[in-house]
Parts: sequence; C-alpha cells; structure tokens
Amino acid sequence: MISVSQVSKSFGQLKVLDDVSLDVQTGEVVVIIGPSGSGKSTLLRCLNCLEQVDKGAISINGQTIKPGSNQVKSRDICQLRQGIGMVFQRFNLFPHMTALENVIEGPITVKKIPKQEAVDKGMQLLEKVGVADKADSYPGQLSGGQQQRVAIARSLAMEPKIMLFDEPTSALDPELVGEVLAVMKNLAKEGMTMVVVTHEMGFAKEVADRVLFMDEGRILEDSKPGKIFSNPSQPRTREFLKKLL
Amino acid sequence: MNSVEFIWSVLPVLLKGMVMTVQLAVLAIIFGTMIGLVIALMKIDQRPWLNRIGGLYTWFFRGIPLLVQLIFLYYGLPAVGIVLTPYSAAVLGLSLCGGAYIAEIIRAGIQSIEKGQMEAALSLGMTYGQAMRRVIVPQTYRRLLPPMGNEFITLLKDVALVSVITMVDLLRSAQLLNQTYFRPFELYATVAILYLILTSIFTVAVGYLEKKLTLPE
Repeated sequence: MISVSQVSKSFGQLKVLDDVSLDVQTGEVVVIIGPSGSGKSTLLRCLNCLEQVDKGAISINGQTIKPGSNQVKSRDICQLRQGIGMVFQRFNLFPHMTALENVIEGPITVKKIPKQEAVDKGMQLLEKVGVADKADSYPGQLSGGQQQRVAIARSLAMEPKIMLFDEPTSALDPELVGEVLAVMKNLAKEGMTMVVVTHEMGFAKEVADRVLFMDEGRILEDSKPGKIFSNPSQPRTREFLKKLL
Repeated sequence: MNSVEFIWSVLPVLLKGMVMTVQLAVLAIIFGTMIGLVIALMKIDQRPWLNRIGGLYTWFFRGIPLLVQLIFLYYGLPAVGIVLTPYSAAVLGLSLCGGAYIAEIIRAGIQSIEKGQMEAALSLGMTYGQAMRRVIVPQTYRRLLPPMGNEFITLLKDVALVSVITMVDLLRSAQLLNQTYFRPFELYATVAILYLILTSIFTVAVGYLEKKLTLPE
C-alpha cells in the first residue's frame, strides 16, 4: 500500500530525511516515534506531497511520487491526496465553517457529491467520532479534543484508504487525549491503514502492528511494539524510551 | 438672505454633487477590489513571472500621484487618439489607483491566514484554486474590513480630485456655486460637513459589519 524507497530530503543545509525506506501493508498500523527534529513529521508530509522529496521514490495507493514538481502533475497530486487522510497536530479545522460544514466540504467541493448525500454521510461520521451534537458549532466553540475528532471525521469523509496522523494529541490538554485516541483505536480495529507519528507510547503498545524509531533522519529501528519497548536493539532507542518513561 | 437660508437654497445642488461623489467612490471600490484581488493573487503565486507583474502594477499605480494619473488620462491620452469622457476617466483612474492599494491589503490578509489552513485544504484533495476560494479567501473577509474601510474613506475623499477633469462632484459643485454667489465660507463649510457625514456613516457601517462577521467563540 505504501512503499518508500531510499528517500532523502534537506531543508537547506539540514538533512531531515536520510535514505529512508519503509513498506506499509494494507490494514497495518505503523507508529513512528523519535525525538523532535528526527524527521518523523517530514516523512509523513512527504507521503501526501505536502513536502517534496529530493531523492528516492514513494509509491502510495498505486501512484508514484518522485523528486521534482514537474514529474507529478498537480491534478495527479490532488487525486493522490483524496485517497490519503491527514490529521494535524493543530487540527486545522476551517474556522469559518461549522463542524458539519467542515466535514462535508471535501465531498462537496472535491468529489462533487450532492449536498444532501454529503450531509447524511457527514452526520454519520460525526456520530461515529462522538460529536454529532456539535454539528452546528463552530470550531472556536469546541474543545481541542472535539476539534480533533471533527478533523478526523473531515478526513474520513473523503473515504481515504490510508490515514496519516501527525502528532494528533500533542496540542491537547491531558484529559482530552483519551477521547481522540479512542477514535483512532476504533479506526485501527476497522482495518484502516494508518501511519501515526505520536508520543503516546500507550497507544503504540496497544494498537501498533509495528513501531519505527527515527533519529536524525533515519529509521533506526522497525519492530513489533512488544520488542521495541521491552528490548530495543539500538542503544539510541533505549536512551530515548528511558527519557520518556 | 442669511447664511442658513442661503445654504438651504443651494443644498439640492450640493447634494447632487454628493451623489456623484458617492457613486464614483462606490464604483472605484468595486472595480478596485476586483483589480486588487487579481493583483494580490498574482503576488502570492508560485510562478515568479506573475509575482513580477503584480509587483510592477503596485509600483506603477502607487508611485504616481492620483492627480497626475487623472490629468494624464483625461488631458494626456487624447493626444494619442484615446479620448475618455470625464466620467470614465474618473472611474478608471480611481479604480486603477485604488486597486494598487487594495492589492496590498488583500495580500497581507491572505498571508495572515495560518499555513495549516492551506495544508488542510490541499490534504482533502482540493486544487490550489479551490483551497483559495473555499477556505483561505473567505477567512480574510473580517480581517480585511478595517483596512478596507480605511481605503474606502481615502477613496471617497480622493474623489474630490476629479474636479480638475471637469467632473461635477461635491467639491466642484460648491466651486461652481461660489462663482455665482461668492459665499465661500458657507459653501466650503457645508462641503466639509457633508464629507464628515459621509465618512461617519461609513465608519458606523464598517463597525456593524465587523461585529456581524465575527465568528462565535
């Protein structure tokens, strides 16, 4: 479903991704952990072309991303992104639209689905993430946890095959983290292919099929959560996990 | 005739001029906003040649005094065969110049929207154009109101310049009345007060709109 091969990327002098390779199978939940600045988010953002790779190739949902903007036509990128949901650390809900309007915006504008159909589907999704009663509220009237759940529903409305989560709980108050993780766990149970950048080790242990440890732009470790948390093979991983616990 | 009676007797003529002033200002803000939006989008586009055209536009129309632009449009262009009526020269000059200022206002407004908004829109599969139209530009409306209100007031006052190309606006109608009656104090004081009334109405309207467009929190 996702195949990243030998991808490198630099911001000026700084090499943020250094020869990264990674395969994700359909239905797999992959959690990426690592210190800040290790390239986790950049890797995720490369997967839906929010960042461009300098070297290497990414094959995702049957489409290939290579370096250089001209090789991937803008319409192809839009097509590619429709199949990939993205959830951001800061939610990025559209503040001038209600929760429901946020959710139906993609289907109506991008997929040209009739409004009534989009509304019905949107309400189902809000129900699913447990914020149906807030359908007519604006993002500014919602708590962080509610906003993030609406943001997940907004992504799901496009019926993506893959969901990417970029530190989805890092901007939340501690008591609101649980409600967002619960939604994500449900998604994983339903068989959604997920790549999650997070610092929530509990979530990684419970839900992940694989955990990757990244540092300085490289994937240092890629193993089952049981193994990485109890017996990491790299001293760098051990050091990182010790600091977290 | 005492002052009050005199003003009362010429008021219909002044009000006619005032209607012309408001009409020109409204047209200038409408066309100026259309021009401004296009120039602003050019300036923030990823294609450098569009940035340059946008930059050239503001440089040109913001760099030449409006008075000079109006005089050139009306008195200069006929020499090369382009003859404009005073009305069209006035609308054109005010819109072109207003557009240059409005472009800067809109550009700043768009750039003040958090980067994550564009990323979220693109992530849904929107094109750049869809993201601008549906997500970014609508968010700028409320932020644009105060500086656009300012610009409208500036334009409204700048309309007085069209009196030099024979348009009978509020100021010019007072000047013409003065040639007949020679009562400059009453006439120009009335003009000043009428301008103040216009700008006050507008300030209140902008404040009301601003409140109405504020999102609930």
